Amino acid sequence: MRILIVEDEPRLLHNLAKALREESYAVDTAADGDDGIVKALDCDYDAIVLDVMLPGLDGWQILERLRRKKKTPVLMLTARDATRDRVRGLDAGADDYLIKPFDLAELLARLRALIRRAAGQAESTLTVRDLVIDTRSRTVSRNGEAIAFTAREYAILEYLVLHRGEVVTRTAIYEHLFDESDDTLSNLVDVHVFSIRKKVGPELIATRRGQGYCIET
Amino acid sequence: MFTKSIRGRLLAWLAFLLVCILTGFGVTAYQLHSTNRFGQIDDDLAVRVAALRDDLRTRPLGGPGPKHFPFEPGGGPGPGQGPLPGFAPGPGPGFGAGLSAGNRPGPKPGPGPDGPFLRGFLDGRAEQREVRLSGRTLVAFDESDTNGFYFVIWSRNGTALKRSTNAPSHLPRPERLGADVGFNTRTLGTFREAYQFTGIGDCVLVGQSLAADLAALRRYAWWLAGAGAGVLGLGLWGAWLLASRAIRPVDDISAAATRISAGNLSERINVADTDSELGRLATILNSTFARLEAAFAQQKQFTADASHELRTPLSVIITEAQTTLARDRSAPEYRETVQACLDAAQQMRRLTQSMLELARFDAGQEAIERQPFDLGEQARTCIELVRPLAQQKGIQIHTDLQPVKLTGDADRLSQVLVNLLTNAIHYNRDQGEISLSTRSQPGAALLNVSDTGPGIPAEDLPRVFERFYRGDKARAHRDGHSGLGLAICKAIVDAHGGSIAVQSSTAEGCSGTTFTVRLPA
Repeated sequence: MRILIVEDEPRLLHNLAKALREESYAVDTAADGDDGIVKALDCDYDAIVLDVMLPGLDGWQILERLRRKKKTPVLMLTARDATRDRVRGLDAGADDYLIKPFDLAELLARLRALIRRAAGQAESTLTVRDLVIDTRSRTVSRNGEAIAFTAREYAILEYLVLHRGEVVTRTAIYEHLFDESDDTLSNLVDVHVFSIRKKVGPELIATRRGQGYCIET
Repeated sequence: MFTKSIRGRLLAWLAFLLVCILTGFGVTAYQLHSTNRFGQIDDDLAVRVAALRDDLRTRPLGGPGPKHFPFEPGGGPGPGQGPLPGFAPGPGPGFGAGLSAGNRPGPKPGPGPDGPFLRGFLDGRAEQREVRLSGRTLVAFDESDTNGFYFVIWSRNGTALKRSTNAPSHLPRPERLGADVGFNTRTLGTFREAYQFTGIGDCVLVGQSLAADLAALRRYAWWLAGAGAGVLGLGLWGAWLLASRAIRPVDDISAAATRISAGNLSERINVADTDSELGRLATILNSTFARLEAAFAQQKQFTADASHELRTPLSVIITEAQTTLARDRSAPEYRETVQACLDAAQQMRRLTQSMLELARFDAGQEAIERQPFDLGEQARTCIELVRPLAQQKGIQIHTDLQPVKLTGDADRLSQVLVNLLTNAIHYNRDQGEISLSTRSQPGAALLNVSDTGPGIPAEDLPRVFERFYRGDKARAHRDGHSGLGLAICKAIVDAHGGSIAVQSSTAEGCSGTTFTVRLPA
């Protein structure tokens, strides 16, 4: 999952990026509104964490411009707690709203929920065939037995399961799972898919030649 | 409750006044009416008494017999007529004169010079005489009507010579006081009677039952009372309407005030008539409410801003700590986290100190020491404090410091100076310039701080002294500025009775900002 954080307080930006990367998200950062809107429009993020008060374009303006083109889930982050502000944020197209100071655990839970809902999933546990994927604990189990995954492998599996029934290109996987600080080669995706297949069986993930991968519903 | 309301009291007083006026009016009207009525009755009685007395005088006093005079119905002699001829058995000139005189109330004529014999003779005859009544008199006494007039004629010895059939029995003969021949009246029970004595002591009494008149008077009294009650009711109804109309603005005011005290500070009293007393009151209250609302809004804004400013460093501390605690870290990572938390905490400390300072100025608790010092000297010290900061950005500081003797709080004014200088460095371009001057004017000391920064946009200029107001919101924020510096400067200068002003130009090539502080010398 790839996430963009737009926040002008450098310590907070740094720390949030660190926390999300440790949760195996691919994280891009923007310290002002102008940078934020360019990145938000340029790349298909799974979610955007957007501070309201920013130099340059503020959070409202970014949201407005983004919504003209994209439906990327947006979590607004603000120090304003007046109901009026929250209503304005949600009406302007924000998908969720979090008031500073917040608990990191809550931010992570809301982000998971946002990504899940955007993929049309209401529950935090995903089931496909005999596999159960718990997006909260980021674990995969089959018949009650846990299967060990690396963070990258889990991320690819979760992404494919969230988009089951669709053909997911390697580029999409690459874009969603590796952030701008990664400079790994795109064939790394194939390596990860190979090791996932070894763990869950070869028939779960189908390869569409020349297109990408797909988990059939 | 009712007596406590203005309207209730107004009405009570009006009711009291109305009752007094109506009672006075009613009683007077009743008195007038009854006096009038009794006067009329007495007049009627007087006419009849006179007629009877005339009859008594003009008719023969002799025994029964044919009429000595042709009967002239309706054309009888009036009271003003002189003695008629053929008054044969008259009691002599004295008698005639007496009667004649008795015709009108007036000076009493003396009794005639009757000798004992004559008197005895006359007495005898007088007791037996028959009184004939003229037709006119008979018409005046309709005996068939029991409520009509009745009469009794007594001889001077008390024998009833003639009485009408409708006269009440046992009617006492009035007592004659001396030789009274005047017209008298008396009231016996419900009967009103008038009587008159002739010169020789015969008594003519005419009476009338007052029952009908008293009943009419009672009806009149009731009518008066009813009309009075009606007027009272109408008056009170009108007064209630008027009072309600007059009180309505008060109700409006109290309703608006209630809504305001319930928390809706944007409520105002609807003032329709601004010229009336209540309209003026409402206008004054409205302006008070407006000031109150503005003060509340300012306070609310300050609280919101303060909480906003505190939330960001708090977020940093919380997320730093939570991220770091999520797993084991290396010593440099822990150090980095603690440093970040410390920085955030320092930022919060600066902020709370500034807010506390402002709150004390607001409450008037911040003590301003007033001691003589030299502002130019003080400025020199302040420049040395900020010089390292200026050198980092390669900024040159030009000074024109004239000695300015001033009485005030040197430490506080140094704070203003350092603040203005720090701003001038902070918002300046690299390799820019700052000029600082102190000058003395008659009655005032002037302090100027100019920079060569990009300037403040005109729309922001009036708001730079507002708390937490920053033209470029996020930039200053990142540099750890609270947005309270200029507000504190203004509070300090205000506390000294001075003023602070700002001028700025954003024009390319000559942009810059100048702060001018004017202090009373």
